[in-house]
Amino acid sequence: MAIVIRRLEEHDEVENFDCGDDALNNYLKRHAWTNQQKSSIGVSYVALDEDAPRTVLGYFTLAMASVPRDAFPKKYVRGLPPYDLPLILLARLAVDRRFAGRGLGHALISEALRISLRVADEVGCRSIITDAYRDRVNWYARYGFVPIEGAAATGPQRMFLDMRTIRAALPR
Amino acid sequence: MALKTRKKRIEHPAVSQRRKTKFQADLAPAEDRSVRLLKEELQLSSNTDFLSDAVALFRWAVSERKLGHRIMSEAANGERKVLLFPRLERVAPDLVLPRVDIKWTGRELESLAELVSAGEANRPTEALIRAMRD
Repeated sequence: MAIVIRRLEEHDEVENFDCGDDALNNYLKRHAWTNQQKSSIGVSYVALDEDAPRTVLGYFTLAMASVPRDAFPKKYVRGLPPYDLPLILLARLAVDRRFAGRGLGHALISEALRISLRVADEVGCRSIITDAYRDRVNWYARYGFVPIEGAAATGPQRMFLDMRTIRAALPR
Repeated sequence: MALKTRKKRIEHPAVSQRRKTKFQADLAPAEDRSVRLLKEELQLSSNTDFLSDAVALFRWAVSERKLGHRIMSEAANGERKVLLFPRLERVAPDLVLPRVDIKWTGRELESLAELVSAGEANRPTEALIRAMRD
């Protein structure tokens, strides 16, 4: 199976996508295209088999975010750059459960990190953050994401990955 | 009496200063057959010409995707097929990401500030290294 990852297109087949999580399924089926094309609040990238290049097997969504400098507690502001802090949000990442265990998640996060690096090179960005489901925290930690403290105990865990760490992983 | 002969200076034919690079490839039998077939169809007599044309086509495709243009074929009935080629997607400038607002708690912002202002970033994990090198 040769996998292609590219931007979501209007006529991609998403109706049968099932990652086992209703929220992630529903986002892809109902909102991903609208958010990308009309509302411009997230770009989704989809994994497809070259032999069936419309059927979505997995996806992730990226968006830019920033934290206003004056939102940080005063004692930390001095150590930060004198601007709002730009971030990339890895908003969603999911694999159809019929294709789980075939390295699709790895391929998707690899591409998400490559795109993030390119964005950081073009527009400037310090880090990637994601809101990970609690049972996926260890999976993200394998790629170097660090938990951000202070999240509610029951909701998703916000995690952080420094662009410098990603750059250090590039081949020399 | 000795005859004086003028030494005739022999000029070497001009040798191009540009070095040509040799290219050698190990092809699987199926790929080799494809190359031979394509050479026949395109009436190309040498591998050099074949490679030269292939590079020209690839260079064009890369430059088009770099501009964000999609590459597609169109049938007589108007049906279009878009070329999907993973390596080409890497050069496509689909980089402008939209902006969203995120809610933060005070403790999260403290934690984020500590992480961002760290003098040194964490070293990449094995999985991250594999992800960036695959």
